Amino acid sequence: MRKTPKSVFERKFGRRRFLGTTLAGVGAALTAGMPRISLADTKTVKIGMNIPMTGDYAPWGLPGLYGSEIVANNLNAAGGVKIGGDTYMIEMAAYDHGYDTEKSVQGFKKLVLEDDVKMVMMLGGSTVASIVPWAMRKKMLTTTLLPSDITPDTPYLVATCESHPLYNVTGVEWLAEKNPDLKTAVIITTNDIEYGKQSAATYKAAFEVAGIEVLDTNFHGFDVVDFAPIVSSLLAKKPDVFCMATDVYTTPIVEQLFHQGYKGKIVSCTLDGYQDVIAKTSKEFVEGLVFQFPDFDDPKLVGGKINFPDPGGFDASFNKDHAGEWSAVAWEYPSILLNWVEAAQAAGSIEPTAVLEAMKANDSPAHTFGPGKWWGAELWGLDNAVIGDWPVVAINDGRARIQEFRSVYTWCQTNVAELSKQMKDLDLRIA
Amino acid sequence: MELFFQSVINSFIQGGFFALWAVGLVLVFGVMGVVNFAHGELVMVGAYTVWVLHSQYGIGYIPALCIAVLLVMFIGLLMERFLFRPKQGDPLGGLINSIGVLFILQVAALVVGGTGPAKQVAPPFPGTLIIQEFLRIPNQRLFSIAVAVAALLLLWFFLTKTKLGWSLRAVALDREAAALQGININRTSMIAIGVSGALAGLAGALMAPISNIYPTMGHNVIITAFIVTIVGGIGSLSGAVLAAVLYAFLHTFVTAYFSGTIATMCGLLIMVLVLIVKPTGIMGQKVSE
Repeated sequence: MRKTPKSVFERKFGRRRFLGTTLAGVGAALTAGMPRISLADTKTVKIGMNIPMTGDYAPWGLPGLYGSEIVANNLNAAGGVKIGGDTYMIEMAAYDHGYDTEKSVQGFKKLVLEDDVKMVMMLGGSTVASIVPWAMRKKMLTTTLLPSDITPDTPYLVATCESHPLYNVTGVEWLAEKNPDLKTAVIITTNDIEYGKQSAATYKAAFEVAGIEVLDTNFHGFDVVDFAPIVSSLLAKKPDVFCMATDVYTTPIVEQLFHQGYKGKIVSCTLDGYQDVIAKTSKEFVEGLVFQFPDFDDPKLVGGKINFPDPGGFDASFNKDHAGEWSAVAWEYPSILLNWVEAAQAAGSIEPTAVLEAMKANDSPAHTFGPGKWWGAELWGLDNAVIGDWPVVAINDGRARIQEFRSVYTWCQTNVAELSKQMKDLDLRIA
Repeated sequence: MELFFQSVINSFIQGGFFALWAVGLVLVFGVMGVVNFAHGELVMVGAYTVWVLHSQYGIGYIPALCIAVLLVMFIGLLMERFLFRPKQGDPLGGLINSIGVLFILQVAALVVGGTGPAKQVAPPFPGTLIIQEFLRIPNQRLFSIAVAVAALLLLWFFLTKTKLGWSLRAVALDREAAALQGININRTSMIAIGVSGALAGLAGALMAPISNIYPTMGHNVIITAFIVTIVGGIGSLSGAVLAAVLYAFLHTFVTAYFSGTIATMCGLLIMVLVLIVKPTGIMGQKVSE
């Protein structure tokens, strides 16, 4: 008789043997190398991520999931999180909306209704706008990386980590202080409202405050295949500072600056993958290039006011498993997750409204780079964004190194009128 | 004046790429009657191949470029055999199949390259040729334009001076008459898409060191290729090359003196005007039914 796959299975792994092996395996897994927690006391809390994991925006989604999983695994391995009288294991539940507004609504509802998540982390922009009516009715704690998503009608939407693009002001402020001879600048950015124009308005305000005249601002589409003409056009204005308020195209833009013989200062919002920029230009050319996002193995991220556990270990862990996939969101979503843990512990509850209440009750919430402040009413109509210190990073000898931390909060408090004016000039919504 | 001269240089370089993108599309449409919507993704595969082989595995740029050309040519041949041939005489079917390939290749690129920032290839020909302080050409771009021109000349020689090239042109002119003359239509189609794939692979490999590499980079390629193809005259290779250079000048100068968005709008507007006023394009010929 021909042996069926089943009979082979039964011969090799009899029922008793299978059950015995499985039980032994489970027992070993539960006892070896795991913290001593009674299973009966351990619960699971799910945190949702409704983010782009495919498509053009995937670099601002998927690395964040990887990072959040590292942090969640570390918390779980340390015995979980004590909230109220219970110990919780954290589980990430993710949905890929591919930066599509309809899929975003679908994903948000799935995470809330089916997965029973207690917070939903999102990137921001139109995908957040599309879920706002339902999310606010449901009183679901939702986070965004773009505080410009916040309106007076979004009490359950908070931005506790990245305050795009407010942190850019620190780079300009620092550059102007170190180089008082800088008089003129040009700005290049994408022509979208969510990222590019917000960033351009903020940089314009920062340059104005620093006494640097903006000679030209180039808003380009996402269809640029060659930056040579745009860079030629901007360099024809002979600027002292070339400012990249964009993030997607920094490498080809810097490459063009290099080939077209630019000699002035460069300031950029981000410079993810800066080693590629160096490879395409030279270490000397990018020396002193100022931007806003540090490597997480930066010595200045150790100790002090930093509210991120073992940044260096996190960096190593991420790059071990996901080499080449690092982007700023890799640490930003985990940072928000840590904000949630802090607030849930303070609230003694995992329920979204209680956690939000605890978050907002904290006058000095833990921001990644030090204590933060709730801010935003003057610009967006609600104090639902946490801003505090932010690092000014510059390339030194081929490495991104934090130069110093500067207060975004102080700058915003002092210069909110100028910021509002620049936002208004670019037809951006303000309160 | 500095901006003007630099823009002239920029235009010629862009024109070379535009021509390389469009000619492959024209060839497949002319010979097979199929609009290969995945043409941009074939360019993307060429770029990714160079990134994987040259940047990740340290293989020399020129061997990586050659492998990219062969690989994309092979993908093209597979497309012809399994997707386009069964849909002969059904342009819509071929179009839909090519859209399917487009998505498959994008996902494949995501699997191979992962997410994170766009992939970059360090230029194998670094440095800049400085003609005047205000007139500079990166060596990598000089190499790219030289190879692009050589490839187009080679294609011209192949189409006009070889028997295989004549058969391609004969099929493009009249499929049935060509078949009656004993020309093997299937084999000719294979050659057409093979050449088209090779050009797409070459374009991607040349672009790799000078642009961002990401799964959807083919979108911009296909839009530009369509504009150039329609303006040049659908099915006309010389029209495509001429239109590529003209469009590159228009796009570069409008971008430099106004904005990139206006430049793209101008390109699309010209395409629409050509379709209304002279549907055959600059060098296309009217074919009677």
